[in-house]
Amino acid sequence: MSVTKNSIFRFLSSLGLAIFLLSFIAFGSIFGTIIKQKANVEEYLSTYSETTYRVIKYIGLDDVFHSYWFITAIALFAINLTLCSFNRFSILIKTSEKMVLPDENALANMPESFRVDGKNIENTIETIKKSYKTVYEKEDGLILQKGTISRYGVYIIHGSILVILTGSLIGLIFGFKGYMVLQKGEVKDYVISRGGSSKKIPLGFSLRCKDFQASFYPNGTPKDYVSKVEVLENGKAIMDREIRVNSPLSYRGINIYQSSYESSPSFLFNIAGERVMLGERETYERDGFFMMVMRFVNSIHNFGPGVLVAYLEQGEPKSTWFLRDVQRLKEQKILGFDIKLEDIKENLFTGLEITSDPGVWVVWTGFALILFGLYANFFVYFRKIYIRYTSDGLSVAGVAFKNKEAFRDEFEKLKVKVFGNGS
Amino acid sequence: MDHKILGTVTILYLFVFFLHLLYFAVKKERIISFMWTTLYITLMLHTAGLVARWIESYRLGIGHAPLSNYYESLIFYAWCISLMLVVLRKRLTFPIITMFASLAALFLIGYASISPSVDRKIQPLIPALQSNWLHIHVITCFLAYAAFIISFTCGFLYFINWRHIIPPKETLEDINYRSVVVGFPMLSAGILTGSVWAHYAWGSYWSWDPKETWSLITWIIYALFLHARFTRGWRGKRIAILSIIGFLSVIFTYFGVNFILSGLHSYAS
Repeated sequence: MSVTKNSIFRFLSSLGLAIFLLSFIAFGSIFGTIIKQKANVEEYLSTYSETTYRVIKYIGLDDVFHSYWFITAIALFAINLTLCSFNRFSILIKTSEKMVLPDENALANMPESFRVDGKNIENTIETIKKSYKTVYEKEDGLILQKGTISRYGVYIIHGSILVILTGSLIGLIFGFKGYMVLQKGEVKDYVISRGGSSKKIPLGFSLRCKDFQASFYPNGTPKDYVSKVEVLENGKAIMDREIRVNSPLSYRGINIYQSSYESSPSFLFNIAGERVMLGERETYERDGFFMMVMRFVNSIHNFGPGVLVAYLEQGEPKSTWFLRDVQRLKEQKILGFDIKLEDIKENLFTGLEITSDPGVWVVWTGFALILFGLYANFFVYFRKIYIRYTSDGLSVAGVAFKNKEAFRDEFEKLKVKVFGNGS
Repeated sequence: MDHKILGTVTILYLFVFFLHLLYFAVKKERIISFMWTTLYITLMLHTAGLVARWIESYRLGIGHAPLSNYYESLIFYAWCISLMLVVLRKRLTFPIITMFASLAALFLIGYASISPSVDRKIQPLIPALQSNWLHIHVITCFLAYAAFIISFTCGFLYFINWRHIIPPKETLEDINYRSVVVGFPMLSAGILTGSVWAHYAWGSYWSWDPKETWSLITWIIYALFLHARFTRGWRGKRIAILSIIGFLSVIFTYFGVNFILSGLHSYAS
């Protein structure tokens, strides 16, 4: 029984599994970039045959990063990484406990070593202690170290990957992603979920859009989107902020981002003395007269903006253009009604991305840790210096397991420091 | 102004390449030390070109570092390569490696200056790019890409047998490994800064956008490279092949994603 348990543990904590899983995740991800993700059936069928589409759907290649096999691979990888680090860490602790000063012969045989005679003993120890940390000091000698952190670099890196995965899991479980479209003056207290089920999520407070502005560079590319937003608690305004791209608003753990905007025009008509505001596709009916705003065009042959209006004449659909800037087409008589296009208003809607992610600080911590770990692992190296008292003075030797050339230079400099004092 | 300077820089990279060829023809060490001097001057002038473009963008009332569109990224990539060569000079004692790397810089800057499909105008920043994260993100990513080009060169040369020109296999492997050691943390920093930026700009630190995904694939390949070497003790051919695959992934992350796949990074094309 314990044999199989052991072999399962060994398999789960093996580097082979890690390499396999990482390759699998990388390879699987490729499909997630070359096959369109989360598109609708028609889009897939326009590119692939029906059989191919069925295969794609069956394996989950239409949503790779949320498919059961991708998530399983990441979960297995997290387990593998935990066990693997645990294993190696216990080995490291066992080996670092041993603090044995090698004998004189062994020291002399180390790649870097020198001897010091009687009068220089204190001076030498003093000098070396200045730049190395003493980890062992007894009557036979000393052991000093530097760059100890580099020995933990690998564990910091691996640990921080687990921290990042934990943070993203927290976000997935306790957070949400949604959006809100607000017209100027409008107030809303919920967001529409971005997940598959576009359900309403209550925010616990309300947002009011006081103003939205989009500005553009002379060449037409967008320059700035700004929403002036008011946060309302129980109907009372408690905060006033501008939200821009790259400058979100954070309130009660909920982040509000400027993500897009929409614009839709509305038209002020004067229909036989009655002023009505109509949007695109909106209809008007009175005394058997029926009209509908069909289409808006920003500029018709340099004549300015125009609206196509449809109406019914004895059951037959007819249509005509109203042009705001052309007097003759601004006012028209239709079926005995005087109809005038008085104004066209641009209604801007701001598109806000609203998310809550309580795990994001865990992820940031993981990011900071991984960078520190990478630094410790690749740019710091571990070296040890042994000092042994001998009958006529000191025997000093040093070892580095990585970066031996750099250590040789360092050791040479140390020698100069030690002997420089005497000569 | 900036185009004139960068034009001269292109010619200088060409000259650096010819100096290498000349060296292989006559084998005089003095040519190589002259080549390094030329490369230093080229790098300085290249820097001046970037600064000139920066200043020019302020004169146009746009005002941003030249790190924002495809053209600027190509020019900056070339700059990172020569910076990497100068920084690693002590290790790069074999002219064949500097030749390939400077050839890559020449190719990048030449393509950027000549190709009709590359827009060379200074463009204003769209709202998503107006962030200080832009600089650190682009700088770390391209320094990583530059290190990986050196790694790739070593991996590629491993399979070529020109006597007296190709350095010994162990040296190639050593330089290959050392450049990955520089590139991997840089790529990590590039991905992480991009991720933090995405959080502040789009509201999500990771959205499996093709560029993000491919950068992760590249990261995984180089992580495998390091593990294969360290823990598995892989040496020689297999390591060389991994560094070639890694660089192919870099190329796809940089170019392929821009042209073949669409996504949030589409302003880079």
